[in-house]
Amino acid sequence: MSSLSLGRNVGPGITALMNTKHLIFPAASILWLAAAVFNGRIEAAAGQAASAGSGSPASHRTTVDRYCVTCHNDRLKTGGLSLQTLDLARVGDRHDVWEKVVRKVGTGAMPPVGVPRPDEATARSLVTSLETALDAAAAAHPNPGRPVLHRLNRTEYANTIRDLLALDIDVTALLPPDEISHGFDNQGDALGVSPLLLERYLSAADTVSAIAVGDPRIPAGSETFVPRGDSHQRDHVEGLPLGTRGGLLIKRTFPLDGDYEFSAKLYRTNNGFTRGLAAVHGVEFSVDGVRVFATTVGGPEDWATLLANPASADSFDTRLKARVPVKAGPHAIGVTFVEKTGARNPTVLRPSQGDIDSVESDGIPKIDSVMIAGPFNPTGPGDTPSRRHIFTCRPSGPADERRCATAIVSTIARRAFRRPVTAAETRQLMTFYDQARTGRRTFDAGVQLVLRRILADPMFLFRAERDPAGAARGSVYRVSDLELASRLSFFLWSSMPDDELLQLAADRRLSTPAVFTAQVKRLLADTRAQALVTNFAGQWLQLRNLTRVAPDPMEFPDFDDTLRQSFRRETELLFETIMRDDRSAMEFLTADYTFVNERLARHYGIPGVRGSQFRKIAVTDPARRGLLGHGSVLTVTSQPNRTSPVKRGKWVLENLMGAPPPPPPPNVPVLEEKLDPNRPQTMKARMEEHRASPACANCHRLMDPIGLAMENFDAVGAWRTRDNRVPIDAATALADGTRLNGVVELREALLKRPEIFLRTMTENLLTYALGREVTAADMPTVRAILRGASASDFHFSSLILGIANSSAFQMRVKPLRDDAS
Amino acid sequence: MFMTRMSLPRRTFLRGVGATVALPLLEAMVPALTAAAQTVARPVRRFGAIYVPHGKMLTQWTPRTSGAGFEFTPILKPLEPFRQYVTVVSGLSAGPTVQNGGHAVAPASYLTGNIQPKQTEGSDIYDAITVDQIIAKAVGQDTPFPSLEVATEDFSTSIGACDTGYSCGYMNTISWAGPTSPLPMETNPRVVFERLFGGAGTPAERLARMRENRSILDAVTASAKTLQAGLGKRDQARLSDYLDNVREIERRIQRAEQRADSDPIALAAPVGPPEAYDEHVAIMFELLAAAFQVDATRVFTFMMMRDISSRSFPHIGVSDPHHALSHEANGRSKDPQKPVNFAKVNTHHVSLFAKFVEKLKATPEGDGSLLDHSMVLYGSAMGNANDHTHHPLPLVVVGGGSGQMKKAGHHLVYPDLTPTANLLLTLAQKVGVETERVGISTGPFDM
Repeated sequence: MSSLSLGRNVGPGITALMNTKHLIFPAASILWLAAAVFNGRIEAAAGQAASAGSGSPASHRTTVDRYCVTCHNDRLKTGGLSLQTLDLARVGDRHDVWEKVVRKVGTGAMPPVGVPRPDEATARSLVTSLETALDAAAAAHPNPGRPVLHRLNRTEYANTIRDLLALDIDVTALLPPDEISHGFDNQGDALGVSPLLLERYLSAADTVSAIAVGDPRIPAGSETFVPRGDSHQRDHVEGLPLGTRGGLLIKRTFPLDGDYEFSAKLYRTNNGFTRGLAAVHGVEFSVDGVRVFATTVGGPEDWATLLANPASADSFDTRLKARVPVKAGPHAIGVTFVEKTGARNPTVLRPSQGDIDSVESDGIPKIDSVMIAGPFNPTGPGDTPSRRHIFTCRPSGPADERRCATAIVSTIARRAFRRPVTAAETRQLMTFYDQARTGRRTFDAGVQLVLRRILADPMFLFRAERDPAGAARGSVYRVSDLELASRLSFFLWSSMPDDELLQLAADRRLSTPAVFTAQVKRLLADTRAQALVTNFAGQWLQLRNLTRVAPDPMEFPDFDDTLRQSFRRETELLFETIMRDDRSAMEFLTADYTFVNERLARHYGIPGVRGSQFRKIAVTDPARRGLLGHGSVLTVTSQPNRTSPVKRGKWVLENLMGAPPPPPPPNVPVLEEKLDPNRPQTMKARMEEHRASPACANCHRLMDPIGLAMENFDAVGAWRTRDNRVPIDAATALADGTRLNGVVELREALLKRPEIFLRTMTENLLTYALGREVTAADMPTVRAILRGASASDFHFSSLILGIANSSAFQMRVKPLRDDAS
Repeated sequence: MFMTRMSLPRRTFLRGVGATVALPLLEAMVPALTAAAQTVARPVRRFGAIYVPHGKMLTQWTPRTSGAGFEFTPILKPLEPFRQYVTVVSGLSAGPTVQNGGHAVAPASYLTGNIQPKQTEGSDIYDAITVDQIIAKAVGQDTPFPSLEVATEDFSTSIGACDTGYSCGYMNTISWAGPTSPLPMETNPRVVFERLFGGAGTPAERLARMRENRSILDAVTASAKTLQAGLGKRDQARLSDYLDNVREIERRIQRAEQRADSDPIALAAPVGPPEAYDEHVAIMFELLAAAFQVDATRVFTFMMMRDISSRSFPHIGVSDPHHALSHEANGRSKDPQKPVNFAKVNTHHVSLFAKFVEKLKATPEGDGSLLDHSMVLYGSAMGNANDHTHHPLPLVVVGGGSGQMKKAGHHLVYPDLTPTANLLLTLAQKVGVETERVGISTGPFDM
């Protein structure tokens, strides 16, 4: 059984995966929060591991017999585990079991409170000795694992198209979403195939190749763009010209030079009324910041028309329409209002930020949707980044066409297949060029058809790794330089290797340690490493779920889409800063700085911040330091109308402590909302109900106290001292009886054992890097990475380099049995 | 809130999934009437449900007499040419008791037959599986699309509350795959077209694309076999899956090619949603009829308008916004013109629907027409829109149901508060679902 699984709760669909984990962390890992069973930091532990031999197997046998075997014996098998007869001199034989012991005893979760426990030194000695033995066994018999055939997921596909063809695509419109496994959507075992997917790949290849080349046959189509329903459009939208308010900015690739029609609709209330037309409002359309169309709506005449006949609102929309010539390529289209200064509606003291009130007729007009249709009267493919990238040569005459096409095709194929291609392969690809040309189509059309064929090829869509010829069963070997190049670029960029990386691999120089380390650093410094922020952090910290969060507008009238986006941005910027400035990973918990714009600063009660752009500020309030003070985290872990100590506790256990609680047992009734408006209760009192049933209490005693310590943050992460008119009580006792009060003390408790957070983050990064489950067999690798990183105080790059240089990342095993391959 | 993840085992197409997925190349162009697909003994049965919000001017909807030979009322008049296919069902209630719910529960109860959505303005919306999805699960697996969900007004980005106490989520769809799975409805006919017919362009261009895809698949097959050599067992198995899928797609393209020469669906791809409402509705109906015709699906739902829509109909002389008018016509206003205008809009909607019925009638299939083999429910989930009552509801079923609609041509009148769920159960059974209950149904109707 693969044991120390990292599978995180990502929804009901993967309970089967979760189940393996319950066997491993039955419920008690939080006890480490007890006043430091061990104080040892990782460096200390590492030092001891190096000197090893602190206690003989015989003395550890005594410890195990005395403190563990009372329950974990052959007869009782408590928790399905017996340590009675396992040989401590040969821990490598049952590394899965001993890794559990290391984690349980090492975190103080075992032995449980209430039974005899070894003193600190004895326990530490046992753990250190076990770790040393396990690491030695792993060094003697390394098991780097074997990721399965990896299909490009949706993000990787989009990024690869971006790098291969200099083309940004809306991949959500082209491909279905991917399954999530072990907390991430890039896990080989979950990236299966289906007829549906194959059809989508075929049609995506068609669409992408046509846009990239600028197929003159592309028919006119339309796309509709809408701002989020809860964007109020009172403020300036970042990216739109200064002096405008509201509206939206649309980034889109135009396939051909030609005319495109932009049309906008104004928002209507419940009764079909268009708001704010008593006054004149300027509306403008812009392409890349240049105004291409301007008109006005509102004013006395329009107002009179509207009052006389509310249905005339439609006639204002028809005014917001323009047909504009646009050059092929990527453009930013703005549709917005000219900003006016003026008094706010005097009848509403505090207008709802969300502006979800669909009845209120006062206010200002806002954009409901924008449609872009075209191309009409196309004049040609134009000069686009994609065409410049693809057409690396131009035929000097008809006789030169095939030579030039061959050059183009072999270059694209090498990049797309992420390896040198043979002349025979190029010849085969060129049959598609010939097919188009015999059909009397153009040179460009010939290249386009080859491109379409390449994008449908399994050599493009799958990343395959092969056992070297003659490798023995059970042998461990380094992956090839080309395989390593793809592993690295997909880890750091979620995309294909660039030419430099590919060339080094083709020359078999990439695996040279100095060259490899230099490449890791280069890739990490590249802008494409932003994928770690959006892709890794977005999933690890569950930032992606923010888009689906919809706080109750009655409870939280101040919440709107600007705030939602600001939350996400703040946490991304923290990750980005730690990554780009190569700071210590501990700053995820301790950062005394953060990133805010005016909207977020107001939400946090920080004065003196103006404007929609983000800036770094010092955090003076200790409660706001690090992830535990981020609105993003606090909001994704809340219910729409209230905080959820359970969800917050679970989030901390899963994502910061690597000890996810098991899912609730089946058929548990939802806690009734028994709120008596006359007798408001604290959240703490309400959570007491979880203790009523032993089945619930077992896990809730782990989760609830953590969340209760964070109660001073409301369901959208704003600071509060009262809830339901009752003062917040953030004093809580953790499962082991440790008392603490509020989020600051909670963070201090976490920081007493920094290695737990660092290990959790490393396990997550490793899962993401390898695209496979991280198991007990990988724990020596995780410890080695952490030992290596401790020298540089866990700076971000030291973790990345540790992973990239690990055997799990650089090597692969040929399984003993064929069916296990 | 909407389904964002889905599991798609091999050979499973779009089980109850809405607009997030599309099948570009599909059996849509495969002849519907192959011997295997349909025999006279076991004809294909189809189900559609059309929703119009805000009730009807009931006095001008409900026929005066029950049974056969009833006189068509002004609003139902456009359906008179199809009398032998029309079953008017009166007296039903969207729930077991008298309830004045409002605009969120109306669409959410139309096809569940019960007013039960959880009252929430958040993302934790909760309703129940709708009858179209019950039917799709039973009969939809033989077609590329188990069901199609379309609409004309896009509010899917609305979040928060759209009606007091209820999330907008309840108003964006009439189709639910399960209690927490509202199915998004596609409003862009271009997207519907591309899903059904595999991309844009003329039939000739689509045929050319199919041929190119076939030669690409040939090449890709060779490539996959090369790739497979020397891989481990698990990786090989995955590529075998891939190759199986390639063959499956090739088979479909082949059949589509055979069909394409005599493609009866010579529709050109629409650019996008037309501005004129009538045109928008007409093109959606045209696509739905085409989907039935080529057996791309046997189940559809269509929201012709959305609750609290303020659409006006100046081209038929009614400039009042629909939602406001529905209140005024039913008592809020003393203006005698309001009921007249409301009935006019009601009639206009039925006449748009009647064109669809006409198209189904004019399309031969097997021993009859598409209309003979379909059952299309048309109506609203409100009675008096001013009071927001959900009974009695204006409902009519059109189509022969392959001989199942025994009371076609009748006006069936049931005691007040008879649950709509009974009608939904009856229709589900007639389509061929083996079930004794739909929601709160108490038993099928004899119809």
